[in-house]
Amino acid sequence: MSTTNNIDKQDNYPFEAIEEYVDNENSLESRIEISKKSLSIHTATSKRFRQFAYLTGAMLILGIVGFFMKLFAGFDDKQAWGYYVAVFAFLMTTTSAAPMVAIAPRIANAHWRRPISRAAEIWTLAGCVNLILYIPLIWLLPSLENGRRSLWFYEQQEGVPAYAPHIWVTLAIIALVILGVALTWVSCLPDFALLRDHATGWRQRWGKTLSLGWLGTTAQWNWQYHRMGIIGAFYFMMLVFVHFFISVEFLMVHVPGWIDSLYPITHAHNALQGGVATVMLTMFFLRQFGGYKEHIGIEQFWALGKLLLALSLLWFWFWFCSFQLLWYGKKPTEVSVLELLVTGPYRELFISVFLLVFIIPWFTMIWNPIRRSIWGPTIIAVSVLIGTFLDRIRLYVGAWDVASFKSKLINPDTDMLGMELAEVPNNIVMPGMADIFLTVGFIGGSIFIYLLATRIIPAVNIWEKKEFLLYKAEIQFHRVKVIVLGKPR
Amino acid sequence: MTKRSVLGLYVEEDSAADALDNLRDAGFGEGEYEILTGTPYPEGTFGEAEPKHKLYRWPLVGAVCGFTGALIITAGTSLAYPLLTGGKPILSIPAMAIIMYEGSMLGAILLTIVGIIFESRLPRIFMGAYSEKITEGYIGVTVTTDESKTDAAEEALKKAGIDGDIIRGWKE
Amino acid sequence: MQEHTQLTQKEINDGLLKDILTLPKWWLPAVLFLAAVIVTGLSAFFFMVYHGVGVTGLNRPVFWGFFIANFVFWIGISHAGIMISAILRLTQAEWRRPITRAAEVMTVFSLMAALHTPLFHVGRPWRVAYWIFPYDFDRNIWPNIKSPFVWDPSAVGTYLIASSLFVFVCLLPDIAILRDRVTSPLIKKIYGFMCLGFRGTPRQWKLQILAGILLSAIVLPVFVSVHSIVSWDFAVLVAVEGWHSTIFAPYFIIGAIHSGVSAVAMLMALIVWIYGLQKFIKPDHFDAIARLLIIVATTWFFFFFLEWVWALYNLESPEIALRELQAFEWPYAPLFAIFVIASFFIPVPLWLFKRCRRSPMIMFLTTLLVNIGMWLERFLIIIPGLVRRGHMTFDWGTYHPSLIEILIVVETFAFVAFGMLLFAKVLPLIPLFDVKEGMVLRRLMKVGRKTIPASMREGLPHHYYEKDH
Repeated sequence: MSTTNNIDKQDNYPFEAIEEYVDNENSLESRIEISKKSLSIHTATSKRFRQFAYLTGAMLILGIVGFFMKLFAGFDDKQAWGYYVAVFAFLMTTTSAAPMVAIAPRIANAHWRRPISRAAEIWTLAGCVNLILYIPLIWLLPSLENGRRSLWFYEQQEGVPAYAPHIWVTLAIIALVILGVALTWVSCLPDFALLRDHATGWRQRWGKTLSLGWLGTTAQWNWQYHRMGIIGAFYFMMLVFVHFFISVEFLMVHVPGWIDSLYPITHAHNALQGGVATVMLTMFFLRQFGGYKEHIGIEQFWALGKLLLALSLLWFWFWFCSFQLLWYGKKPTEVSVLELLVTGPYRELFISVFLLVFIIPWFTMIWNPIRRSIWGPTIIAVSVLIGTFLDRIRLYVGAWDVASFKSKLINPDTDMLGMELAEVPNNIVMPGMADIFLTVGFIGGSIFIYLLATRIIPAVNIWEKKEFLLYKAEIQFHRVKVIVLGKPR
Repeated sequence: MTKRSVLGLYVEEDSAADALDNLRDAGFGEGEYEILTGTPYPEGTFGEAEPKHKLYRWPLVGAVCGFTGALIITAGTSLAYPLLTGGKPILSIPAMAIIMYEGSMLGAILLTIVGIIFESRLPRIFMGAYSEKITEGYIGVTVTTDESKTDAAEEALKKAGIDGDIIRGWKE
Repeated sequence: MQEHTQLTQKEINDGLLKDILTLPKWWLPAVLFLAAVIVTGLSAFFFMVYHGVGVTGLNRPVFWGFFIANFVFWIGISHAGIMISAILRLTQAEWRRPITRAAEVMTVFSLMAALHTPLFHVGRPWRVAYWIFPYDFDRNIWPNIKSPFVWDPSAVGTYLIASSLFVFVCLLPDIAILRDRVTSPLIKKIYGFMCLGFRGTPRQWKLQILAGILLSAIVLPVFVSVHSIVSWDFAVLVAVEGWHSTIFAPYFIIGAIHSGVSAVAMLMALIVWIYGLQKFIKPDHFDAIARLLIIVATTWFFFFFLEWVWALYNLESPEIALRELQAFEWPYAPLFAIFVIASFFIPVPLWLFKRCRRSPMIMFLTTLLVNIGMWLERFLIIIPGLVRRGHMTFDWGTYHPSLIEILIVVETFAFVAFGMLLFAKVLPLIPLFDVKEGMVLRRLMKVGRKTIPASMREGLPHHYYEKDH
């Protein structure tokens, strides 16, 4: 083959390789406009907000009543604590994972996250509710010296304390809460400074205290950027560890024969899915009732919709990996576990979960018009959240039912290490009054904390929206208008 | 009437867009002219209409066909040769599901490829007027029309400021 | 990308097509050498066919040895292409542009290499035809669809067809450029036929972009399923210790991504050195892929830890004995140490340093180490599990790979390299239109005194903004 042709012979090639400049949308006027608009929405407390606050506040009171009812009933009957642990796990699966919607896109420099990152981060404050909910579980969890199954290899290794799981799970959850609050606080510093400088009354006072003297120097911005990155990365790692601990210590070890190396990952994945659904619903409420219609748009719903689609498919994959292996091997111990969790008393619950968390999201969100809308992803998020809740009930109530079962056996010492589920329960454990109060109360309570937090913390990240002005331009490219997005780092 | 094609090359995107305007003003329909570029441009750069396509139907149809085919193969072979392996039922849904899933994806992909080629209006046997300079960065505006209208087409193309001469897709 | 060389379309054509339009001096010797290695490997295979599988080291209890480890390894490498291409396309990462095609082509050849190893492994590959296709209608014996060995061909076959067609469709514009550049009428006709008459109309470009996104979205679930199914070849078995673990599917996939993305990084370095394409693949690209590798490697290590910990959870002595054999006993102990150090403890700390990430040489060496480690990982999953001594003493045995197996394994590496070199001689390894599009969309923004790179994005169609949802 020869390179000589007409093109190579031409001397006057008229094109030049030029990189063109565009002007971004940043200006003093545009920054002031964003601050003013965002502050006016933030400082307004609408009638609808008060209605939600009263409702969720009442729910929280109900939850506290249920909480004390449970405490007074004692820790001996493990079966009675199934719903409690399920609610705790559900809240860890949803509210604790919601900040990932802020962390991951920030690392990937995805600009669509800007209006919703704060809404995701504020959920870390609801982590305080989770921590309170967790405390009685320290007493509920059996210690290793009872000879129970665990990943701590208590008798096989020297120096493992009998309360090792209690110590480590507690430390992990506390660390997660602290990291979450730290992440939110660091992310909010510039907006607290805005409140200090431009708000009035109690917001101005709180802004002054919480902003820690933020001035907006280059050093402070760099510090904040790096801290958010590090705290975010550690939050993610801690989240995975917390879900590892919860899924092992509060779930799998109580079911003899349930040896599922994938399940900790599945649990963490369910958390990601639950977190995305939580933020989706939060976005919807902020848009419809919070006055943020101009700030939270279809881009955000579309982006999270794509994520939810992928996570729903992954849910199926993780479930199928575990199920398929246990089904195929036909080991008697594994068949019993499948009977407990899938084909036995919890079958109807499982089918509902399968439909709500996989079938409905996948077969609807695969259509672009549904993904690219406001109502479509929101309804699917509700489906995912209900499905996730039912899934927690299926797993945790079933597991603690079996845990109570085993503790009634004649030789609990030898049987506690056994890997054979001798008898699968016949019926689902029905919730008691306290369980209903707890469920309603703590879900409502988390939302109540969130609502209160939004009174001081602006629900939309104002400084990130202003930062976007530096990296965005809308230009006329010949006969079409296009958006130009810059890459900060 | 015989169809003829002519091509004008432009250096500037705006000139090519002006050529499209001239052709529309001269009464040429959307199906008669086309922009040719060596690289994708954002949609609407030259003022052209958004290309309509039905690509999304192809993977769906393909998936359904693949799913059905795989269902028939898996269920059919299991029932035709009912081998009891490991105590699993003859029609084992988890095992069948795997092959049905792969069948659906294969069907979807195969028909998507066919769809892409079809919707791109390929294969194109009749190249018409074309220039190798297009893949060097020039922008081509080609008009495929009746023999009687080629003069008007050439006029419209020249008015926008072509680089070099009109390229004709037929031998004189 | 912060470093960037803006080029005209002609400069891109010249730069990326020069080694197709002319014959580099090194090409023919390299191809002949690789062909010689392939012929040697095939000769070893024919020797095995003639004398029987006994010439390999395979025997009771180790029925699966080098061949199967090699099969899993190449399936792993093949995951790179779709991972890089699909996920980076869907996330609109600009840095993917020069590397997607090389990764996709490597996928196709790795899959071919992966497919021919189990065919060699069975000893009489012509009999496999009855097992998969065509079916043996006469005797009414049908394949057992409950077997993972029947799931395998459906998955790997689907993936191979999908990847090949993906490469072909995305090649159409570049074949059109070659059609325009070559002078020989016969070669011009061949390229013209191959590109199906592609001209570059807005419709064709729109469908090209849609093809990239839609095919990526469809192939990604296939990519996940392929290695899951390959892992289930092992995991569904209850009898072999160390295999029956639910984490195998994601563990194999993350391992595949780890080795595959490392292989892409190696390929990038080779493209830069062999073809001199420094203008297209910059240190920024190596930096980006290294950051991805840090996340992937760390996730892989977590899965590896989980797999080990859960294996010991049931406190069964056969399982514990296997793990002791794998990690502490000769000859597997040193291999285990090399595997862990090479896959994680050397590369990842190096990748934490920017200087190392941006150096093609360091990236090449570290990713080579990763692939050595990952090959050993597959070996250590398969062989120790089979070697462990069960109750039947007549079943006790060891495994020593023979020269035949080694030659065939080496042949697969030569096959992939040979395929890539042949491909690169006929078609461009770096997608021209993708790179050109990047140049068209590129803009610069001034933020104070700093200039940052920017890219044009098409917004949502206007009716989405006008309608109040």
